[in-house]
Amino acid sequence: MAACIEGLATPQGRSMVTALVEQLFANMQPVPPDAALITATTKMGIDNLEKLERKRPAHLPDILLSSLPELVSQKLGLGTTGINISASCASSTIAIARGAGLIASGRADAVLVCCADVVTEFTFSGFSALKVVSASPCRPFDRARSGLSLGDGAAALVLMTEERARREARDCVAVVRGWGASNDAFHITSPDPDGSGLVSAIGQALSRSALNESDISAVSAHGTGTLYNDLMELTAFRRVFGGRRIPIYSVKGTIGHTTGAAGGIEVALAAKALAERTVPPTAGFKDPEQGAEGSVSASAVPLTGDVCLTTNSGFGGINAAIILERGSA
Amino acid sequence: MIAAITGVGWVSPESMGSGRDHRGLEPKDGKLPKLTSRMVFGDVLPRFGRLDEYSKLGLTAIAFALKDARQDKWGEKRPAGIIVSSIYGCLATDMEYFKGVLANGGNLASPNLFACTLPNIFLGEAAIHFGLTGPGFAVNGAQPGGTEGLCLALSSMFLDEIPVMIVGTCDPGCPPLFPYRVEMTTGALFFVLEKYPIDGSLSYGGLDMTRDGEVLFNGAQIQNLTTLLQECLPD
Repeated sequence: MAACIEGLATPQGRSMVTALVEQLFANMQPVPPDAALITATTKMGIDNLEKLERKRPAHLPDILLSSLPELVSQKLGLGTTGINISASCASSTIAIARGAGLIASGRADAVLVCCADVVTEFTFSGFSALKVVSASPCRPFDRARSGLSLGDGAAALVLMTEERARREARDCVAVVRGWGASNDAFHITSPDPDGSGLVSAIGQALSRSALNESDISAVSAHGTGTLYNDLMELTAFRRVFGGRRIPIYSVKGTIGHTTGAAGGIEVALAAKALAERTVPPTAGFKDPEQGAEGSVSASAVPLTGDVCLTTNSGFGGINAAIILERGSA
Repeated sequence: MIAAITGVGWVSPESMGSGRDHRGLEPKDGKLPKLTSRMVFGDVLPRFGRLDEYSKLGLTAIAFALKDARQDKWGEKRPAGIIVSSIYGCLATDMEYFKGVLANGGNLASPNLFACTLPNIFLGEAAIHFGLTGPGFAVNGAQPGGTEGLCLALSSMFLDEIPVMIVGTCDPGCPPLFPYRVEMTTGALFFVLEKYPIDGSLSYGGLDMTRDGEVLFNGAQIQNLTTLLQECLPD
C-alpha cells in the first residue's frame, strides 16, 4: 500500500521529484535569494535509474542526490548551490537541525530546508523484501498494525533569525527551540528496543531548548506502523515522560511514510498543529498497543500548551528530535 | 580553534592506511584495492564480506582514522558522530539491486542489498563496530572535495553538540555502466576531529572556520580534504 500524489506530470525523461518540487513552490512565499540551502532526500530521482535500466529516456543527473539542491537553487534563483543531507528516514529532521545550527552559530541568518522523496518500484520492492510493507493503510501504535505505507511527499521550510524575520515582517509560524541527533550503535535495520538512542536525541533537544520534559505539550512520533519502530518509540517516550499521558500522534496513517521527507513534513504539520491548538488524529488507530492507551487517539484533540516534540528514526540506527514552540503568526 | 585533527585514514588506488602507518600500493589501472576484513579488523567483523564496495571502502578508511587517533578500541559507547561527503555514494549498489529486481519480476529483491542502497548505511556499521552514538549522515554537494561536511562538523562542535566527529569523503567512482561522469578523485579519506583531545601529542593541527564558512587549518585556508591531508602529512 502506498500514498501517492496523483497527476505528477514530468517533462520527458525527468524525475517525478522535479514535478513534486514544482508543485511545492507553486504557492510558496518568496524565499530570500541569499538564504543558505539544505535539502534532504534518500533517493532523489531513483525513478530515473529505473528508466535507465529499462532503456527508457532518463535525465541522468536527476539520479544523483546532489541534484536536489541544484534543482531548488535554480528554481528559486538562490545564490548558493546548497547541499543535500541523507540520513535515512531522519534525513530532513537532521537537515532542519543543521539549518538551525547554522543560524545558532551565526553562520547564516536565513536557511531554506527543502525535502522530497517519491515512491518508486525501487523503494517499494526494497521495503517489501524487508517484509515491512502493510497490505492496507498503516495503523501506527495499533495492536493490529502490520507494517508501513510508503508515500510521496515534499516540504519546504524557511528558517530565519528572529531579528531578520521581524525586519522583513515575516510570519513566524513556529520557533525551533532545540534539536538533537544520535545513533543507536545497535543494528542496521532494527532500532534498539530500549529506545536509548531516541532518548538521547530527545535529551539533547531538551537541553538545547532549556526546557523540561514537562514543558512538552504533544509528540509527533515517527510512528511508522512497524512492530519494532512503534514499540521502541513507546518505550523511549515512557522513559522520557514517565507516567505522564502526553498526546502522541503519527501522520503516517494519512500521508504514508515519505522516507527522507518525513521529518520536514512532520515539523511543518507540527507547526500547524501548534498554530491551530489541535493534536492531529492518528489515522487507523483503534486498538492501543501497550503504552499507547490514553496518549494516541484516532480523533483530533485539543492541544494544551505551546511546545511540540517531533522525532524520526531510520536505518543505520539514526535518531533525531526537534522541539518547536508556537510562533507569533 | 574549534577542533584538533588527531587521526587520518584513507584508501586510494596508490596507498592506504593511517597518518602514522600507511603503505603504498601497486596501482592497477587506477583501481581501488580489493578490501577484506582481515586488512583492518582481523576476524572481528564477520558482516564485512556482505557489505557493498562503497561501504567497505568507507568503513575501512574510518577504521584507519580511528586507529590513528587511538580510538579504535572501546569499552563503553561514546558520543562521536560521522559525516561522509560523496558524489556517487552507493549508486553502483543501487544499480545492482535494481537489476536483481528486474531479473526476478520484483519477487526476489535482496533485502540485504536494499539496506545498502542508502549512502549513510555504512556509518551505522561503523557506529556499531566502534560504539559511536553521535549522528551519522551523508552530504551531497555539487562539488567534490568534502568541505561541506567538514563545515557541518565544525558547526556542531562549535555549538558544543558533540566532542568528537569523524569527517571525510567516500567515493568508489562512477559505476562502470553509468553514462554520466563527474570529475572526481576515487577513494575514501577520513579525519578524526576532537574538541578536547584525549592525547594532545596526537594532534596534526587545529581546525577553525570563518563566519563565511571557510575552513582554516593552522590558520591557513584549505580548499578540500585532499589538501588538508597534504597539510597534515607534509612529507
